Amino acid sequence: MQIKITKTDRSKPEYVEIHCYTVNDDVQEIAAFVKSRQGLLTGISDERQYEIAVSDIFYIESVDNRGFIYTKDKVYETRQKLYELEELLKTKHFIRVSKSVLLNLMKVSSIKPALNSRFTAVLFSGEQVVISRKYVPELKKALKG
Amino acid sequence: MELRKFFLMHIQIYCVLVTLIFAVSMVFGMIYAPEENIKYYQLAGPFIMAALCVLPSFITYFKSEPTLKQYIIRHIIQLTVIEAIVLLMVQPPDDMEQTFFRLFLGSIVLVVYMLIKLAVWLQKYLQSRQLADQLRKFQSAVIQNEE
Repeated sequence: MQIKITKTDRSKPEYVEIHCYTVNDDVQEIAAFVKSRQGLLTGISDERQYEIAVSDIFYIESVDNRGFIYTKDKVYETRQKLYELEELLKTKHFIRVSKSVLLNLMKVSSIKPALNSRFTAVLFSGEQVVISRKYVPELKKALKG
Repeated sequence: MELRKFFLMHIQIYCVLVTLIFAVSMVFGMIYAPEENIKYYQLAGPFIMAALCVLPSFITYFKSEPTLKQYIIRHIIQLTVIEAIVLLMVQPPDDMEQTFFRLFLGSIVLVVYMLIKLAVWLQKYLQSRQLADQLRKFQSAVIQNEE
């Protein structure tokens, strides 16, 4: 796929246009990346695509190489990899809290101790997410700003 | 957890353990043998005992994250080894019945073990409270910045 970047006048809106033969996974991944840069992620639920505001996401989990986005009352599947999302969302107060979970710090209501140097993050939705001991120093660093 | 961190944590536990063994010896000594005199070399007992009790803790060292089952099993093994060491090392006084003494000593070890676990948990609880406070400050700062 060729890449063409054209400068536009400030009076016109900026946009990304993709010309492709078929809308395959690669194209959808590019679209998802562009949306995530604008504070939106694409998620799939009941075979329909949704645009989810990053601020509505509680946490993102990877299970058997499949990514899941958790909002207050819905779960969406995402095609993006956890490490890609981690990179994209690190400026949006998301932090890796275990090998498979990215947590939105703005959705955490409290932190409790758990077994073996781990902690549990209690979310505003009532759900609980385990913070692995390996990621505790990073969490402390993030909270100190 | 890094072995260095694990080692430092167990030095802390060792110090708490020495204090607790001294405290338990004092309390039980006052109750059961208030007239007994002890020699200076006997003061080394809690230090040696604590060292022998901390060594089995290395059974609980995990390089990667353990499951709940692994965590519980390793701690049961640890407690069993500690109980065995203490029961083999300490001999009952002449005027005390063997079984009673063993049961009594076993219970003391169990109580001290539980107290250590409680102290570690309390430390973690305070750490979690500190994290929760930092989190609240972080969230307020983000909301203020957005406004």
